[in-house]
Amino acid sequence: MVTKENLKDYASKLMFDMDDEGYSRTLKEFETVERHMELIGKIDNIKNIEPMTFPYVIYHAHLRDDIAKDCLTNEEVLANAKDTKANQVKVPKVVAE
Amino acid sequence: MKTIMDLREDLDTGKVTSNELFSISNKKAHEYQDEFNSFVTIVDKKEEQESNTLLSGIPYALKDNFSTTGILTTASSNILKDYVPVYDATVYKKLKDAGAILVGKTVLDELAMGGTGTTGHTGIVRNPWDKNRQIGGSSSGSASAVALGIVPFAIGSDTGDSVRKPACFGGIVGFKPTYGRISRYGLFAFASSLDHVGCLTRCVKDAAIVTDILKGKDERDMTSLPDEDIKYSDVIDNDIKGKKLFYIKEITDLNLYKDAGEETLEILNKFKEVIEKCKKLGFIVEEISFDEQLLKAIYPTYITISSAEATSNNSNLTGIPFGPRGNGNNINEIMFDARTKGFSELIKRRFILGSYVLQKENQERLFKNAQRLRHLIVDKMNELFKTYDAMILPASGGIAPKFDSEIDRMSDRYLMLENHMVIGNFGGFPSITIPSGFVSNMPIGINITGRVFEDGLTLNIANKIEEALGYKGLIKEEYDV
Repeated sequence: MVTKENLKDYASKLMFDMDDEGYSRTLKEFETVERHMELIGKIDNIKNIEPMTFPYVIYHAHLRDDIAKDCLTNEEVLANAKDTKANQVKVPKVVAE
Repeated sequence: MKTIMDLREDLDTGKVTSNELFSISNKKAHEYQDEFNSFVTIVDKKEEQESNTLLSGIPYALKDNFSTTGILTTASSNILKDYVPVYDATVYKKLKDAGAILVGKTVLDELAMGGTGTTGHTGIVRNPWDKNRQIGGSSSGSASAVALGIVPFAIGSDTGDSVRKPACFGGIVGFKPTYGRISRYGLFAFASSLDHVGCLTRCVKDAAIVTDILKGKDERDMTSLPDEDIKYSDVIDNDIKGKKLFYIKEITDLNLYKDAGEETLEILNKFKEVIEKCKKLGFIVEEISFDEQLLKAIYPTYITISSAEATSNNSNLTGIPFGPRGNGNNINEIMFDARTKGFSELIKRRFILGSYVLQKENQERLFKNAQRLRHLIVDKMNELFKTYDAMILPASGGIAPKFDSEIDRMSDRYLMLENHMVIGNFGGFPSITIPSGFVSNMPIGINITGRVFEDGLTLNIANKIEEALGYKGLIKEEYDV
């Protein structure tokens, strides 16, 4: 059974938080999804079906040649960053003192 | 606002210039903005392009989740509220090369998740037919811009029914071709295995014309399909006599809707009238039975798969390389703060669900079972498509909802009627919504979904039905200048 604490843990792994009512609404939503998914689990032979990850079968998938092209310039990459220094995105020290 | 072909003729005969057309669209965009909120950004300076295609000089609007160099692109989310892209989406580039003129970037449900047009960071989008009602979503502003007559066509994205549902509520045409037919390069990913690019237009022929320009292999999108050697606009008038259509008994049988509201019953009755008209046109139309267990599972399957894929796709939204910086003493705190402030609750709930179904202990039971269910539904559809050329169904179980609507629309039966269009995303099938009349003075629509890769035939069928129904180029008179 999922609890509010579980939800807070998932949110924290996803790097955000929300208010308590938000978690209550999420919990309610989960109950609906769980109820529906339980029905799906009861479908005959469901375990024998191959999970579908793409809309149709592709017989020939082509990867393009591994050649670098259309690269962004340094200025373009940094254009939207709020803090930059020496042509790089600036962040606080990653290694603690 | 006229259709693309009408405007083409006006431009070619010198009746109007592309500068004049742009000015008209730009003026209307500003005029209706406060009331309807179709746009995040209205472009005030006309792009100058030399080209000679059917779209040369024709104004259009682009959903604000397509990358446009130098033009603010927000996906209607606070976490991207000041993001200015440094590259062009293939769709935008192709339209530029074709000479189409961008009028503005349209409001969507935040990050394209949602179907109400109420969750964008710049406010709600209103329905041109009744300002107290939603236009639907997530391609909300694209639908309202076309329905208001600001532009003859707009581009949207469709992961569940995000082009086709707002088209239905706005009394216009919404088409998403086969998965991969149009490159997704530069479209902000929501759920990659379900995401499609689509268009909103005033008639089926215009949808064919726009798709002809946009389709084709793109080396930047490895899922894009090789170009077909046909123009869809050349085949939409083909003879359809003897083509076979089916509709699903479990979704359309009036006897199953004993507790339904009057509007739903009227929609179902009008659907039966459409079926009779199709038979008169020469279509063979049959009712088939579809395993109800599978139909009931469509919505939870969609929510499970799309939330899981969305969680992963949006992990790059950290506020570090772009987006508003969060506060904090270290990089984790900064990201945590940016994401907490940047996403609305609805988005966070979807992400948590996505994360939950992907947890090791839940993956088999939830995520993989949803993918298995998707397989069963698509197999069943492909089996039906061995006999039939297309499926025809009502595009919605109700008219556009009011903003303060509290009607319980969550009954299992209603969920089937309201969410079946996501089948088109599960199997990548070409799928189109066209207007089919009015209920309570609001437009309603029907949806036609065809065999995968057979976009031309699907448009052909829709075009013939559109001719017979007579609701081509609908617009509420007060907005038609």
